[in-house]
Amino acid sequence: MQLLKNPGSFRDPAGQVYNYNNKIIRVVKKFGKKRYDYIKNKDIISESVNQNFLIPTKDVTDEFKDSQSNDDIYFLEHQKIDYISYPYEWSFYQLKSAALHHLNFQLFLIDKNTVLIDSSAYNIQFINHKPIFIDVLSLDEYKEGDYWKGHSQFLQQFLNPLLLRSKKGIPFNDWYKGNLDGIKTTDLNELLNFKDKLSLNIFFSVTLLSKLENQNKINPDKALDKIKKRKSLSKNSYKSMLVQLKNWIEKLEPLKKKTEWDDYSSINTYQRKEEELKIKLVRDFSQKNKPKLLADIGCNDGLYSFESLKAGTHKAIGFDIDINAIDKAYKKSIKENLNFLPLYFNAMNPSSKLGWSEDERRSFKERINFDAMIALAFEHHLALGNNVPLEDVVKWLMNIAPKGLIEYVDKDDETVKKMLSLKGDIFPNYNIKNFEKYIETNGNIINKSTISNTRILYEFEKN
Amino acid sequence: MNKNLTLFFIIYLSLMNNAYAYLDPGTGSIILQAILGAIAAGLSYCAFYWNKVKNFFKKIFKKKEKTE
Repeated sequence: MQLLKNPGSFRDPAGQVYNYNNKIIRVVKKFGKKRYDYIKNKDIISESVNQNFLIPTKDVTDEFKDSQSNDDIYFLEHQKIDYISYPYEWSFYQLKSAALHHLNFQLFLIDKNTVLIDSSAYNIQFINHKPIFIDVLSLDEYKEGDYWKGHSQFLQQFLNPLLLRSKKGIPFNDWYKGNLDGIKTTDLNELLNFKDKLSLNIFFSVTLLSKLENQNKINPDKALDKIKKRKSLSKNSYKSMLVQLKNWIEKLEPLKKKTEWDDYSSINTYQRKEEELKIKLVRDFSQKNKPKLLADIGCNDGLYSFESLKAGTHKAIGFDIDINAIDKAYKKSIKENLNFLPLYFNAMNPSSKLGWSEDERRSFKERINFDAMIALAFEHHLALGNNVPLEDVVKWLMNIAPKGLIEYVDKDDETVKKMLSLKGDIFPNYNIKNFEKYIETNGNIINKSTISNTRILYEFEKN
Repeated sequence: MNKNLTLFFIIYLSLMNNAYAYLDPGTGSIILQAILGAIAAGLSYCAFYWNKVKNFFKKIFKKKEKTE
């Protein structure tokens, strides 16, 4: 079995991540030996793991004796994350949790004379609803007087996207996906108005910083000179910066703007009876198949995922375009401590291969590893709302998992009537006969349950 | 409070520039940290003397209480 290099792991010469036999192995290179020895000898790794800050990590160098070389010094095995997600797929409260996790981890570390050398949001992943830090080689010894190296990166990747939503009501996701480094302080500064800038926090972290950055661009030599002459930063100042940001971020809330699917569960056109019937069918399906990892496409506030988890599904990942619904689902997942991670997802433009060499961040398609899926009240949004041919919608959905439930919504349905009222019926191929035919092209219909006159739930299995 | 506001606006207005050349944006962060560090040091310096002043008055009040 060969060590397969993870294409997203190249920035730090101290080490690299590999896939080996379905395991995640981090190789510590010669360049990173000193860094790793420090945190290992001080028991920082085990303490950080015990406090749920760091992903469980064990030294498996003995198992890789044959692969050891002058450059490959240590081999570490990390607990595998079920589903890798990226900050541009997180909701406001997920990014906020990740930001606070980063700051709390730094505060924990600095008392042990250790720092995080960068602030990449991609170093945080979610295990269900809990954030966890995954890059052990980002930890290094703190030396008295050190500056916070990841300060600027923290603002770009955590604070600025949160401020964009909090001050302007603009979700950060599409912008973040366009610039994987987050939102530039200088860009955010242009968007904030005078009233926003009257806050001292914003003045220092956005306005003053972006002015300094601009000034440095005009006169780089002067900036470098200033940096050379700077005094060392005391540990207290370092800590107070972290605490100040933490206190500020804890108070940040999204600027409330109602979205299309707010209160979907309570105001939709479904009859309560239909909902109960669907819950029963989802539970039966989950009980029968006991999926290890379920994809809930169009999960909304997570109702059906929660029911599925209660009935035997081990873990569920939800996908929805409505950022407020994702936040609601995420909060519920925390409250009820469920194995559920909802993510922002636009099926018409899913996360693609992004970053360096188009290989650094993986696409939705590449990350598909589900053994079951459900897509309730979803397909008509693609087929009728976005004009995707029904044949392609069915094929795309059935490629997500080998088995699942898909709800078919007929043209006579009240919701569909509204959708087509302006557009007109330009979908001659959209009918139940074709829907069934397309399922059978890709697999088999296992069950067919009538929900109402206009809605049918299909259970399928792929060929 | 008024003095603080005036200082705030002076810093604010003095920084209104446009920029075109390129330098690692991290440099801005380092200078900002130096400024924040200096402010924190300044504040702790003030706090040190403020405590001295407070203690001075406390002592006087305590003396007065005793004499009463």
